Parts: sequence; C-alpha cells; structure tokens
Amino acid sequence: MDPLDFLRAHAPFDRLDAAALRRVAATLEIAFAPAGAHVLQRGAAPARFLYVIRKGVVRLERDGEVVQVLEEGDTFGFPSLVGRTSPLVDAVVVEDALLYQVPEAEFRALVESPGFAEFFVVSLSERLHRHASLQPVPFGRALWGSLEGMPLAPVRWIAPGETVQAAARLMREAGASAIFVEGSPPGIVTDSDLRVRVLAEGRGPSTPVGEIATRPVATVPSGSTLLEALTFMLERRVHHAALESAGRLVGLITDADLLRLQVQTPLYLLRTVERLAVPGDLPTYGQDLAAMVGSLTWSGLDAWQVGPIVARVNDALVARLIAFVQSTLGPAPVPFAWIVFGSEGRREQTLLADQDHALTFSAGGEGVDAYFARLAREVVALLLEAGFPPCPGGYMATSWRMPVDDLAARFRAWILKPDPQGLVDALNLFDFRPVAGDLDVGPLDDIIAAAAREPRFLAHFARASLGLEPPLGAFRHIKEDHGGVDLKRGGLVPVAGLARLLALEAGARDRPTLARLEAAAAAGTLSHEGAATLAQAFRFLMRLRLTDQLRHLRAGRPLSTLTPLDALTSLDRAYLKDVFVAIREVQQATALRYAIDRLA
Amino acid sequence: MRLTAWRDWFGPSTSWEQAVFWALDLETTGLDPTRDHIISAAMVPVRGGTIRVGERWHTYVCPPKGVQSSLDALRVHHIMPRESAGAPSLADVVHGVDRRLREGVLLVHFATLDVAFLREACRRTGQRWIRPPVVDTAALAWRLHQRATWPREPAAEPDLGLADVRAACGLPPHRAHDALADAVATAELFLVLRSRLDLRSLRQLV
Repeated sequence: MDPLDFLRAHAPFDRLDAAALRRVAATLEIAFAPAGAHVLQRGAAPARFLYVIRKGVVRLERDGEVVQVLEEGDTFGFPSLVGRTSPLVDAVVVEDALLYQVPEAEFRALVESPGFAEFFVVSLSERLHRHASLQPVPFGRALWGSLEGMPLAPVRWIAPGETVQAAARLMREAGASAIFVEGSPPGIVTDSDLRVRVLAEGRGPSTPVGEIATRPVATVPSGSTLLEALTFMLERRVHHAALESAGRLVGLITDADLLRLQVQTPLYLLRTVERLAVPGDLPTYGQDLAAMVGSLTWSGLDAWQVGPIVARVNDALVARLIAFVQSTLGPAPVPFAWIVFGSEGRREQTLLADQDHALTFSAGGEGVDAYFARLAREVVALLLEAGFPPCPGGYMATSWRMPVDDLAARFRAWILKPDPQGLVDALNLFDFRPVAGDLDVGPLDDIIAAAAREPRFLAHFARASLGLEPPLGAFRHIKEDHGGVDLKRGGLVPVAGLARLLALEAGARDRPTLARLEAAAAAGTLSHEGAATLAQAFRFLMRLRLTDQLRHLRAGRPLSTLTPLDALTSLDRAYLKDVFVAIREVQQATALRYAIDRLA
Repeated sequence: MRLTAWRDWFGPSTSWEQAVFWALDLETTGLDPTRDHIISAAMVPVRGGTIRVGERWHTYVCPPKGVQSSLDALRVHHIMPRESAGAPSLADVVHGVDRRLREGVLLVHFATLDVAFLREACRRTGQRWIRPPVVDTAALAWRLHQRATWPREPAAEPDLGLADVRAACGLPPHRAHDALADAVATAELFLVLRSRLDLRSLRQLV
C-alpha cells in the first residue's frame, strides 16, 4: 500500500525487515500541517512522534535562524524523541506538509536494529563534511597559507629611552633577531641595526635605542600569506616583516622563521631524537615536539594526521632512553616489550601527555625482576625529565611490570569475570602497542580479539565504554565546567570508547579510533553513516583541541584541559554542539543495543 | 437515542478533531448501482485529526454466481475473478462497513455513487442502511474552488476527480483504483481541504 511503499523507499525504513515494516504500518499515523504551523517548538514538550515528510517542506529553526530545510523523505523529531527532552529547534512548516508519524513506543522498538538508530546522525556527518574549515588542506600549502596561526616567536617591546645594550639583552633572552621600540609611531631595531648603526658608527652600548630605531615600521597585514610576506621582504631587502592587525603591531616574521619551518620537519626531529644527548637534551624535548606539531599543523596537516607522526617521534625517544639505560644496566636477561597504551597506544597523542606504559617480559625470575624494575624506574625518570608527567592512574611500567603470561592471565580475567576495576584496566590496556623490545606480544592481541565472543563481557565493556558523556545540559546546550569544556573527556574519550567497543565486537585488531570505526562499519557492528559521523566528530574535536593547546603554548601559558567556549568561533561552537549531540545519540543507540540497563 | 447522538455530533461546539471519519472507497463492476456489484471495499479512519493507517481495512467481495466485471471495469481496477472468489460475502462486507460507520462519519470522494452502492448492497442483503453523516471531499473541493474564484462565478467546471483534486492541492500521486490506496488518498485529501477551508466544527463539514 502507498504509505508503506513510501517508507520502504526511504532511509532509515529501508533498513527494516518485512516484519518490522508491518509493525510500523500498524501504528503509523498521517497528519497534515499547513504552512506556518509549528510541528515542534523549541523548549516545549518533547516530540511524541518520529516525523517523516511525505510531502511539503519543513524548516528547522533555532532562534529564528534556519538550521536545516527538510523535504520529502526527510525525518525529524529524533533527538527530542530519543532523549525525551524539549526539542532543540522549532520545526516550522514552510509548504503544506503531509507528515507520516511513527509513535514514540514503536520508534523505541525500532531503534534496536543498529542501522535504524544510527541513521539519524548521518545528516550531521554530511553537514560537517561540507564545513569548509574541515576540508583537508593539501600538505605543503606553506606559501599560500595565512600567517595567522603560524608558529612565531613572541614579540618583545622596549622603551625608546632604554639603551641598545638592554635591547640586545632582551633580544638574546627571547632568541629574537629584532625588537619593537615603543612610541608613536612605534619603531623597530634589528640585529643588523646593532651592527651597522651602533658598532660601525662607533656608538657605545649606552646609546638610547630610540636613536637608532627605524620608524615607522614597514608592515604587512597579519592575514597576508607567507608568499606576500616573502615578496615584501625581498622587495625591501629586509630580513624582518612586522605583522599589523587593526593598527597594532602583533608579530614579527623573519627569514629565520621561514628556515625554521623547513627545519621543524618530523624527519629532522626524528634524527635529533636518535642523536639526543641523554639526559642533557631532554628538558627541551617537549618544546621541540610542540614546535614540530605547530609547524605541521600550520602547514596543513590535520590534528589526527599529526598523531601518528608524534607517536613515531615519541617511540624513538622511548627506544633511545631504553638504550641509554641499558648502556649502564647491560642487556636484558630475557626478551621484553615496552608497551604504551591510552592515546599513545592509539597513536592519537599530539602534545606531551601523561605517561601510559607497561613492561612485560618472557619469564620471571629473581635477577630478571630486579633488572626490569630498575629499567622501568630509570626510563620513567628520564621521561619525566623530557616533560611527560606521571600517569595519575598509575599505569606506568614501575607498577605494571610482569611476565607476559601474568599479563595474559589478567587480560583473560577481565574478560571472563568483568569487575569494575578490571574493566577500567581493560579500557586502558586494550589499546596497547609495543614500542621497544623484542618480545612478541601477539598472544595478548589474540586474547582481546577473542573477547568478541563473550556477550557478558561485551555488555559490561559497553557500559564502561559509555561512562563519559558529552557535557550537554537538559536543553542540549553545552555545559561549561570551571569556565570551559573538556574536549578530551567530553568528546574524544567517548568517541574513542565507542570505536574501541564496536571494533572489539567486530573482532578487529586496529588501534587508532578512525581505523576502528572503519573496521566496525565493515563488520556491521556500526552503520557506515554512524562511522562517518563519529570519524568527522573525532577529527573535528582533535583539531579544536590541538588548536586551543597551540594557542596556549604560543602565548606562553600552561596547557589547560578546558577550552572556554568563547575562545571558539561561533561556527565552531555550533558544530561542537552538533558533534556532542551526535556522540550522545550514538551512545544512546549503542546503550539500547547492548541493553545496558538490563545489566545487573 | 440516535437523534441525541446526531445533535451531539452537530452542535456548534463539536470540533472536527473529536469526530471519527471513516474514509471509504469501493471498487465496482460498473457505474450502475442497480445492475453492478461491489467487488472490493476499503476503509481507514481519521481519529484525533490524524489518519490511523494501522486500522485500515481492505476486503474483496465474493460476487454472486455468474457475475463478472465488464472488460472496461477490469481494465480500471485489475481485480481478477480468482482474487474475489473465496472472499467474504457481500453481507459480511456490508456488516463490516456498517460496524465502522456506527462510530462516526462516512468520508468519501463523490459520495453519491458510493452511498448508492452501499444502500443497494444493504437492500440486497436485507440489512438496514444506517444513514451516517457524510463528508464528501469532492464537495469540499468544489467549495474551495468557489472560494478561490469568488466573487466571480467559476469560469469552468474544475476537474473534481480524486487524482485531479489531490494534484491541485499539491498532494503526491497515489495508486488509483486500488480501494485501500484510494481510501487513504481520500483521507489525506480531507485533511488538506479541511485545513484550507478552515472548517473547525463538524457542522461546517457535512
């Protein structure tokens, strides 16, 4: 019959089997809503139906602003329906609409089929995909890239009455080749001015800096491309270009910066790490890494693409540190593996993060334990020196250090007798990745892969994986906590958790979240649309977080786990909310599918 | 008893949403109620302002011996004799229609013809025709047409066929000459016409 034929031809009803479609037909209602009608009202009672537009046009509006225009075959009302919350948007009929209505109770029965529930986040994935700032930028955009966001040294200022010696000292401290001189208009003094206008002229170190400054300063707008700045410097035959924004000098780009961009390549850093003087060079490791990440990001790599590079460099560091310790401790008595987990295990680390590692070896024994205890202690100390804070949860080789059979026994115990602490350990260690040593840890992987056949474990693991939720309020606004949003705990960890769970269920052995999502989609534990949405959400959150962290670093502020909402553009804020809502919906769909509330 | 109900239904305060409308469509062997036969019937209710697809009812009718659709009729409704053989008898079908109409208003496109067939079916099976209140979507469409051309008289007769009126109202095409699809199509058209004419009480509709 007609209504069913129509539904059968439209997603997500096309994913339902004949029996489920018959159930839909048994409760389906058809309503007419004339142009101008408000089918849903923001802040009013929750939706009682899932609406499918059979004919007509419905607009979703937020504060009178059009969020989405829906047409024949489109559905709406889902978020309010599943969350039993007030609608997030007004649904206003633009052209007379014939609406198919699936009542709430029937809808709840339908979401138990995975494809059906996950369908509802598709449109967000598509919207995110179209979001211009999320388009990948080809690597090597360098010359065409805007100077804004380029990793530059902070600008120093000096009063015109100060001496050139004071100016030279400030420049030395800042590692800068030029300094701005206060005044109206402001001036600039460069390395070559000190040479040409002071030393060569026979002036003394007490010469007031104002006397030799160049005024006014030649500037390029801060939004210029690197190519424009380069052209400017070539034309003027200068080594510096001051960046100007809204009449103020905001930065300085030098030809040395251009060189530095070339130098901070991963390969350069990798070579540096391999030649690292231990422990003397360790304290600047974090800065070097941050500089590399900054320049990679600026030159067009997305945050999620930076992760594997950082992992490679960090792995090299661990290998270097272990080799260093072994140079005094001697070779290991038995084969061993240094394994990392958490985000480092998934290769999703961008800047220095907490240490997360364990040490396992082929067999125990008295001398063996003592050797690895010392190895762990000394490597952890060196990592601390390189700027990696200790793991607050204690997941470090100093305590997680055991023969591989013991570790395997623990893995099996977590799977066969899931208890709260075991599940927390599993969440961490199941992302493990060996980075140094020659022990084969493949058997550990086999144990994890076998967990896919343990429904009881999967249900418990699902509950543990869904433990952190996006910070959304009752009316789906983003909740700030202590003046910001924790993008990691509120977004990245929930997505990583879903990916780990669904890939595990699929029997996949991938570690990176994006690869896990693909594996889950390929195996059918997650729909392709759900996977695409989570992947977009993950990339978006990675980028947002890294951008914010780099902003902190450039300003010389300590890193914070919280990102204040007003530090984001309004577009990013809007997308962040959509991303949080999408994550929560997949979490809810997943919870329904695993029947988590039925767990004891 | 019945009169009281009638008055309740058509008092000024009875809003249309409180009423139940049973949309009906019949497929017949031809257009003459005295000679032709009902071969299929379908009904679907409008309750609380929405069409309840789950309560749809569709049946073929077992024709009296020797009765066959004309070739023309067959061409229209595609119901083959073997489909209606073994179907409920006309008496059973009339009973099913009657049982539903006791609950509310008969909703039909071009009521005259279908009502004539139903009365005749009652006569043939010895049942009493309950004379339910009738809402005719073709008549509503005509009212809308007059209103649109007012104050001038409509220049030409509009096409008042179900498919034509639906198209004029912007409704999607439906599978015509299938009793159930036509009944749903009629119910949908009713919702649109009622809204366009802004008829809020039952009295205004009948």
